[in-house]
Amino acid sequence: MSTTTESGRARIEGTDVNFTLATQTGVSKKDAKPSDPQPKMQLTPEEQEILDGKKGELWQKAMKTVVAYGEMFGATKLVTLTGTCHMAMSWGNKSIEPFLDIFQKFVDAGIKTYKPFTTDPRAMDFENNDPGPEKRKSVAETYPNQARLEEIYSKIGLIDGDSYSCASYLPEMGNAPKKGDYCCWSESSAINFVNSVLGARTNRNSMGIDMMCNLLGKAPYFGLLTDEGRKAKWLIEVKTSKKPNPMLLGSAIGLKVVEDVPFITGMKEHLGEMNEVNQGYLKDLGATTASNGAVGLYHMEGITPEAVEQGRDLLAEGYQTYVIDDAELDRVFNNYPDLWPNHNADPEKLFVGCPHLSVSQLHWATGKLRTALTGVDMSKPALPVFLFAGKKVKNGFIERYPEDAKYLEEIGVNIALQCPMLYLQTPLQDKELIVTNSNKCRVYSTARFFFDDAMMKIVTTGKLPKDYLEVKPEND
Amino acid sequence: MTKTFKGRPLLPGNVEETAEVSHYGFSTSAVYVEVVFKDTNSGVCKDGDNKELYGRDLSGKIVCTPQTIGSSSGACMFMAICEKDIQPKAFLFANHIDSLASCGLLMADIWLGKRIVTVDMLGDEFLDAVKTGNKVKVFEDGTVEVED
Repeated sequence: MSTTTESGRARIEGTDVNFTLATQTGVSKKDAKPSDPQPKMQLTPEEQEILDGKKGELWQKAMKTVVAYGEMFGATKLVTLTGTCHMAMSWGNKSIEPFLDIFQKFVDAGIKTYKPFTTDPRAMDFENNDPGPEKRKSVAETYPNQARLEEIYSKIGLIDGDSYSCASYLPEMGNAPKKGDYCCWSESSAINFVNSVLGARTNRNSMGIDMMCNLLGKAPYFGLLTDEGRKAKWLIEVKTSKKPNPMLLGSAIGLKVVEDVPFITGMKEHLGEMNEVNQGYLKDLGATTASNGAVGLYHMEGITPEAVEQGRDLLAEGYQTYVIDDAELDRVFNNYPDLWPNHNADPEKLFVGCPHLSVSQLHWATGKLRTALTGVDMSKPALPVFLFAGKKVKNGFIERYPEDAKYLEEIGVNIALQCPMLYLQTPLQDKELIVTNSNKCRVYSTARFFFDDAMMKIVTTGKLPKDYLEVKPEND
Repeated sequence: MTKTFKGRPLLPGNVEETAEVSHYGFSTSAVYVEVVFKDTNSGVCKDGDNKELYGRDLSGKIVCTPQTIGSSSGACMFMAICEKDIQPKAFLFANHIDSLASCGLLMADIWLGKRIVTVDMLGDEFLDAVKTGNKVKVFEDGTVEVED
């Protein structure tokens, strides 16, 4: 079954987690029954006082919201947050007004989040990716509350005006929680990374709940905050002939396990030790499990911190097994829908960086572009190419790889600070024919997903590689 | 003939109204897209791909569906329809509630004082039994009666 979004583009069930039946918390409840015990949350005396209104109505309502939310998902208590904060709501469209009205009350009362926070990228970056006057107008109409959102955020606890990135856990962004920290994050890809790669603990939180928890400095204790909730219900055996594309592997896993925790084996030989480059791989893999499925945490044998410590003891009793080989990855790739009106049309732009790129990934992408263009003696790509990263990461890249930054400038490739997904969900822009190596971008837009080698062919030709064209029979 | 089902009362209450049934997930942001983007005061379903509910006025009715799906702005939509008083009387979910619906329904209840009675985990049998136009009674203990 397909449906259409606010901007009228098609969505297809089974390829988009937003249209998959799941609790979206990172913990499946498909076997839950109303007769199951419904624990009442045990609050500390201080928490109870807040709930009773002794600190005022605002705090009372925040506590009521968080307690009721937790009880819906089986939480037994609140935990005190120790880690950093990240909020997904970075777009000022009309729909967020009810939340802004609530947040404004806290601002007026001088209340801030318990720690400074980061947020997702803005929908627009006219300086580095100007869509032209007509589309700029559409952006303004789509996000009328952007300035209000940013003003409220600056007063309620945003670290600073450069704190807009979905990859806020990267060193340059300075918002990484530590292993074992309790956090309350939204943004599915970031949640997945801090749970899986950093070993911090957060559920997949909805907008609104994230702010309430981070104002209180408390979160309901259920799901991925618990040892039990972090056990893996799936053993994923990777048996591919070479290191798989992270965005295809993540897609296969996400589509299979939906919102259960997977324990992935067979990757140590491909990745070796955890390092900066591998963290980029794990970021992209995780973001895809979170967008093609609703995975909030994965373990990877010999690689991710909890898997290194606990090994296969992380597998839950009665776990299921899913084997991924070359044929399975081919099957997954070949089932992706093409949402372009004309399958063989020439792409208009090429996007790399959903989730936002790290410094080492910007360096890698620059190298790929340089090799592709110099190989055919071209001085500029055949179509507009955009890389996406946070401002602080971009600055870090320029500082660490000045020659790369100069080369990108020479070939006319911009590093844009916005969210490519939101760019593609904005009316008018959503009609653009975009190619990307991001399987997350594919899920949330009409962008078509290609592997890196195909992307580089597109960079030098401006056309889709022949392998991907649909050739009609001659006498058709 | 009356059929009785028992779910989990999340936002309890006693209400009685006719059912509006969607066997497909209820895409809150798509259903109420015009409420937010065109500032309409209508509770008519605008999700063109929800063949069961499209064009039907859900205001004051009892919506029966597996769970909500769709954009993360769905939570805001519950608040928006409650502010405009065009909300359904109740949401009856066959599955466990999802985080977007729970956030939106709770915040509307707590911050706006507008309760949409909510029961979840009513099971697939409930959705097999209930038809659009059936009279439905919801009780505060999570019992749901469906009359043919």
